[in-house]
Amino acid sequence: MSIALARTAAEEALDFSLPHRRMEEWRWTDLRQMIDKPYPPRQMVTAEQGEVERLLKSSPFAAIAGARMVFVNGHYDSKHSKLVNSAVEPQAEITEPVQQMNAAFATDGARLVLSGSIDTPVELVFIATDAAPRTIATHNVIEVAGGASATIIETHIGKGSYLANSVTEIRIGEGARLDRVKADLESHDATHLAHAHVTLSANVTYREFTLSTGAKLNRQNGTYAFKGEHTDAKISGAYLLAGKQHADSRLVVDHQVPNCASRELFKCVMDDHARSIFQGKVIVRPHAQKTDGKQSSHALLLSETAEFDAKPELEIFADDVACGHGATAGDLNEDHLFYLESRGITPAEAKALLIAAFVGEAFETIDHDGIREALTDYAARWLTEHRRKG
Amino acid sequence: MLDINNLHVKLEDEDRTIVNGLTLNVKPGEVHAIMGPNGSGKSTLSYVLAGRAGYEVTDGSVTFKGEDLLEMSPDQRAAKGVFLAFQYPIEIPGVVTMQFLKVALNAQRKARGEKELSTPDFMRLVKDRAAKLNVSQDMLKRPVNVGFSGGEKKRAEILQMAVLEPSLCILDETDSGLDIDALRVVADGVNALRSPDRAMIVITHYQRLLDYIVPDHVHVLSKGRIVKSGDKSLALELEKQGYAEFDKSAA
Amino acid sequence: MADLQTIELVKDIEVDKYKYGFETEIESDFAPKGLNEDIVRFISAKKGEPAWMLEARLEAYARWLQMDEPTWARVHYPKIDFQDLYYYAAPKSMSGPKSLDEVDPKLLETYAKLGIPLKEQEILAGVRKQGEKSELDDAGGSEYSSGKVAVDAVFDSVSVVTTFKAELAKAGVIFCSISEALREHPELVKKYLFSVVPQGDNYYAALNSAVFSDGSFVYVPPGVRCPMELSTYFRMNAKNTGQFERTLIIADKGSYVSYLEGCTAPTREESQLHAAVVELIALDDAEIKYSTVQNWYPGDAEGKGGIYNFVTKRGDCRGPRSKISWTQVETGSAITWKYPSCILRGEESRGEFYSIAISNGRQQVDSGTKMIHLGKNTSSRIISKGIAAGRSDNTYRGLVSAHRKATNARNFTQCDSLLIGDKCGAHTVPYIEAKTSTAQFEHEATTSKISDDQMFYCMSRGLTQEEAVALIVNGFVRDVLQQLPMEFMAETQKLIGISLEGSVG
Repeated sequence: MSIALARTAAEEALDFSLPHRRMEEWRWTDLRQMIDKPYPPRQMVTAEQGEVERLLKSSPFAAIAGARMVFVNGHYDSKHSKLVNSAVEPQAEITEPVQQMNAAFATDGARLVLSGSIDTPVELVFIATDAAPRTIATHNVIEVAGGASATIIETHIGKGSYLANSVTEIRIGEGARLDRVKADLESHDATHLAHAHVTLSANVTYREFTLSTGAKLNRQNGTYAFKGEHTDAKISGAYLLAGKQHADSRLVVDHQVPNCASRELFKCVMDDHARSIFQGKVIVRPHAQKTDGKQSSHALLLSETAEFDAKPELEIFADDVACGHGATAGDLNEDHLFYLESRGITPAEAKALLIAAFVGEAFETIDHDGIREALTDYAARWLTEHRRKG
Repeated sequence: MLDINNLHVKLEDEDRTIVNGLTLNVKPGEVHAIMGPNGSGKSTLSYVLAGRAGYEVTDGSVTFKGEDLLEMSPDQRAAKGVFLAFQYPIEIPGVVTMQFLKVALNAQRKARGEKELSTPDFMRLVKDRAAKLNVSQDMLKRPVNVGFSGGEKKRAEILQMAVLEPSLCILDETDSGLDIDALRVVADGVNALRSPDRAMIVITHYQRLLDYIVPDHVHVLSKGRIVKSGDKSLALELEKQGYAEFDKSAA
Repeated sequence: MADLQTIELVKDIEVDKYKYGFETEIESDFAPKGLNEDIVRFISAKKGEPAWMLEARLEAYARWLQMDEPTWARVHYPKIDFQDLYYYAAPKSMSGPKSLDEVDPKLLETYAKLGIPLKEQEILAGVRKQGEKSELDDAGGSEYSSGKVAVDAVFDSVSVVTTFKAELAKAGVIFCSISEALREHPELVKKYLFSVVPQGDNYYAALNSAVFSDGSFVYVPPGVRCPMELSTYFRMNAKNTGQFERTLIIADKGSYVSYLEGCTAPTREESQLHAAVVELIALDDAEIKYSTVQNWYPGDAEGKGGIYNFVTKRGDCRGPRSKISWTQVETGSAITWKYPSCILRGEESRGEFYSIAISNGRQQVDSGTKMIHLGKNTSSRIISKGIAAGRSDNTYRGLVSAHRKATNARNFTQCDSLLIGDKCGAHTVPYIEAKTSTAQFEHEATTSKISDDQMFYCMSRGLTQEEAVALIVNGFVRDVLQQLPMEFMAETQKLIGISLEGSVG
């Protein structure tokens, strides 16, 4: 049922058709409409070193990560990087508009093979400097060798108006553990489109946490394919949104084999006119018996005009499974507020306390103490700043 | 009534023999106590008699009222008069206890070619039995075992036994998790069901229960077979000595 | 073992053992096959409708021509040839019966065979079929004490009999076929028809609006509590016939009505189309309780034949404090595409949806609800229990939305799925849209199977495998069963057993 429409200016500049609301997965995020100006791809932009360093310093992980790889405006920055690329090739099938766009425009990206026990978190920093609106696309491939364990951080930071398209392909070998932390701290004038393609072998432990506070428009896709038994994945996220920010996460957890467990936990806080969307789909394929799959998404709406939409889907083709999802939306509990206030806490403080408690549960899923503290502090700063504004 | 002859049982999924040449003969009216340490095969024996999945009989036979018990499905065994009071009764959400009792009783009667009991007759029967076991009307209205305390679950099991009137009652660690008062109520319920036509197998770890349900025979089970049999004094002896002695003799 | 046997059991289930699958040989009056403007005119003329109704039908037909068949539901079936259907079939002898005596005895026989909830004799005598409020069920009973049920029976496209008319008239309640309502109460029909489901609402609703042949009409005047349960019984008999009934229920201010529909069809190799529309309007403080026991022929074990059930049901809580409650038991049909919904327009209005959907054999169910919160302080509740067995697919699809002005909207949703065997699928596709911070939405969903332990426990108490499955499933759906009128609870419990076992109980 394609309706022939004239290309938008944004599509014209990209020479690419953007996904729109008539596509089920994009029903709440119509890029044809929301990307309202051209972001031409493959623009050469020379970054000013001072700006790069300022942006690097603003990463909450500036004090943590030792092994760092920096990409500025879509290109590897050897001056600030301590790691170099390994030889590893992408394998993921390209099926999805964000991926297609990336395949057409990607200029660079990290290629890493992680083996052994790596204690120091590896940080990939993607920086966009202030320049004319353009598309910056990067494509990362990360392979975690069997039995390895590692922590990888992806930080997205920028200034000005740009469209960042980031695709990450992750393959985790048998018995390995990967902790992945993604911080979307893009400029508030930016659009962030991401796709993660995660393949999990047998006996894998996978932990993922995403903090999103940046970008006016943020869309995250993730597919998590369970290919080996006795694997356990926890995927969580916290969204702190205000103004007219719009964030849409779509996760597909695909249980293809028996005896695996998946957990999804998302906490979204929205103020002003912000809108957040959670689309989670758990698939249990035939014969993927003893699957234990749960997802939950919770939204805290702080203003009358904030909006939350959710589509937590289950698609189950095996009978011996325990699957479920829960979703809630609402504002702060009046009784809780009153209780705190009756103990002498100011309304503003009480509110901040309850918001922090609400998102705290998601932060708890981060195992690495340093990272958890850094992000918790970052979130606390967001709340303080936000409160001052409000 | 029940003849267990040289029974060998292993787990279906594992190569581990749990019952290892057990022989036991139970006549109508008798109460047999089977005692043994954890892992001696007590619960396995009760499950095999009731027909639970997951066990494989590799040798021996079980005859009940002259028929091969092992050939029957669990419901056929129940209709024939075998009743297992579970150590851990199963919860069935949404199915009201009263309704469950009625469906079970009538299914058994139907299988035996008897007429189904009318609702008023059934209600009278249950109310009478429930009162004796201190089972409240409220409990009867709740779903089977859902949200029951440990004591309530055990009393509900005995109530089912009283309503279904089986000819062979197997009580699997019915005393576990009960305080002394609850134990007394349960034991009184069991004793009230003792009759010349009804046999009982009381499986327990402790002698304590046998103070209240006095057995005719006591057997010591170790490593899947009966290593010693005697009268009720054997239970007291065990209490003093512990099971270690018998484990040696089974080895 | 129990698990394996359960699967065996499900494999054995012969969906063919459909109890209601006989055909009644009655001479029928058909409109020519196919669909065009002339057929629409023919149907309208047959009914002696006012001109505005024909206009409305033609408009619907024009819209339908412009529309595409929806494809978003998780159902698959060969393309329907809409020109290969009859759009009007009426039992010949049935042109306007005044009482049961005038009804073709064969028809009555049909109903007798069906064991219709009609239970004519008893009901005509005005005695309740001993509704024994049994302590066994511990059910929240129906709100009815009279025990009478007024029935409108629709055979293929035509309403054949409506019982208890006089008694209802005394209370001021109008209960008749929609054709009769168009003749006798055109002002009411004109005011409300299409006001909840407009002609162009969706593909099947547009088709229905163009060709609907009959259905039921209910009007309950202000302040009246309808003195008895109302019921419509639908039966599809004639071959290659689509059934398109239209039901319109209006509960005026402060009134109450409870309505139940039941459906069956003969066993046929070819599939039959059923595209009904139901519109409910609840004005200030009014309450409508609408229950459905849908047992259309599901097709055989291989998926041959069966009814395509594409139904649009929507209630409009138009007045403040009004309430609409949908309860459905869906066991039949090869394909079910059905989303009884509530528009919560009036302040403090309330919508409810209670559903049991059982699929077996090759059945495909895509069903759920929409709760659209528009007014302040509106609330809704959704309890859905899906049971999939055999090679069936069972999908819950629902939407809960609160618009910006729907301050303090409340919703609670619980969707549970139970799988029996490993060849079936159970899916949950809920959409949640909160456009106001004061909305409180809670949504929970679970998927599970009947545990081996539960099966063994029941069997060790003497239940056969089939009885154990039926008992556990009845426990699983209990929250919904309790919403059904007393008279239908026992029947429904039995129906659940039949749907899952194939053995007629």
